[in-house]
Amino acid sequence: MKPWQVAAGFSGIGFYIAGCIILGILGGRWLDDKLSTDPLWFIIGLVLGFATAALGVYSMLRPLLKNGGKGEDSK
Amino acid sequence: MTKKRMGCFLLIGVLVLFLVSIVIGPIGQALFNLPLPEWLKVPKPHVELPAEIIVPIGHFGGQEFGITNTLLTTWLTMIVLLLIGVLVMRRSKVIPSRFQGLMESAFEWLYNFCKEVAGEKNGRKFFPLITTIVLFVLFNGWLSLLPGFGSIQAHTSEGEVALLRGANTDVNTPLALAFISFAFIWGNGIRTLGWGFFKKFFNIGRFLRGWGKIFTGKVKGGLGDLFFGFIDGAVGFIELISEFFRIISLTFRLFGNMMGGEILVFMMMFLVFVTPIIIPYGLELLFSLIQALIFGFLTLVFATIAATSHEGEGHGAHE
Repeated sequence: MKPWQVAAGFSGIGFYIAGCIILGILGGRWLDDKLSTDPLWFIIGLVLGFATAALGVYSMLRPLLKNGGKGEDSK
Repeated sequence: MTKKRMGCFLLIGVLVLFLVSIVIGPIGQALFNLPLPEWLKVPKPHVELPAEIIVPIGHFGGQEFGITNTLLTTWLTMIVLLLIGVLVMRRSKVIPSRFQGLMESAFEWLYNFCKEVAGEKNGRKFFPLITTIVLFVLFNGWLSLLPGFGSIQAHTSEGEVALLRGANTDVNTPLALAFISFAFIWGNGIRTLGWGFFKKFFNIGRFLRGWGKIFTGKVKGGLGDLFFGFIDGAVGFIELISEFFRIISLTFRLFGNMMGGEILVFMMMFLVFVTPIIIPYGLELLFSLIQALIFGFLTLVFATIAATSHEGEGHGAHE
């Protein structure tokens, strides 16, 4: 596949980043409500959300980084 | 009269029409307070986000069910596509007519596109669904630009609602399309790679090997494997999440663009008088085409990636 075709895989990256952070925050808030530990789990959820987003973006970009931006291996 | 002069007159005419349209439209009326006849005045627009039910069927779990105006448009689109297919097939000749030629070149372009992205074998396999998605979204968008959409009213228990409305302006249609695309992508991945398809999501081999090493006394190597195995597992889990986020991104990209376009055209109708609406109309023609191609193309790319073996790639994280 050509690089721009591989790049299409990143088209949902915005939703992914936002989704991870929102899920982390909502999960944290929910746990805080249940355990009344405000704001401990909120912060943990936020950090986990950010970390998941960052790791996810990195793992999506890895095939491109590995081949110097030339797309996936030209089989 | 020379061609250049005629062009000039035409341009001036269009500009005058534009100005008149803006002045006698609601913007102009609000700005200049002109004494215009009653029939030129328009009501305030009312945008409805959920689809309106035309024929109620019943209640289910506290939710009203029925045939909505967007569902009617879905059926209409299907009928139009079927008719086009039947017409083209019935009158197909070796030397094609203009219509047949147009259809053939469109299909050929899509077919070559599929083959270019997914390869010869997969391209043939993916072509039918990709083309169906592209044509459905495209004709849906274009049909909803026809006069009658939004303007023909139906009497229901909730008052007067539009009988026909672009199907992709109802979030359920893009969601259904995204589910179909998702099932297709996963189905093809599983068919091509077997259970190996799930390997990239549950990549815990190294983690388990680490435990094995610790129990057999190789603590140092075991701890290393445990650490990197944990990262592998986390990356697999992240890939699984990102697969599901694709459904959301496919859904809301299509829904947002179609809904945004419809609201733009709708609002323009209430702000200006006739002529300047041509601009968002023209843009809508283009946006429908772009959105149809994007939806089909993304499904194609994701299906191709899913059907490609990830052997060797999984070990690349810590090379």
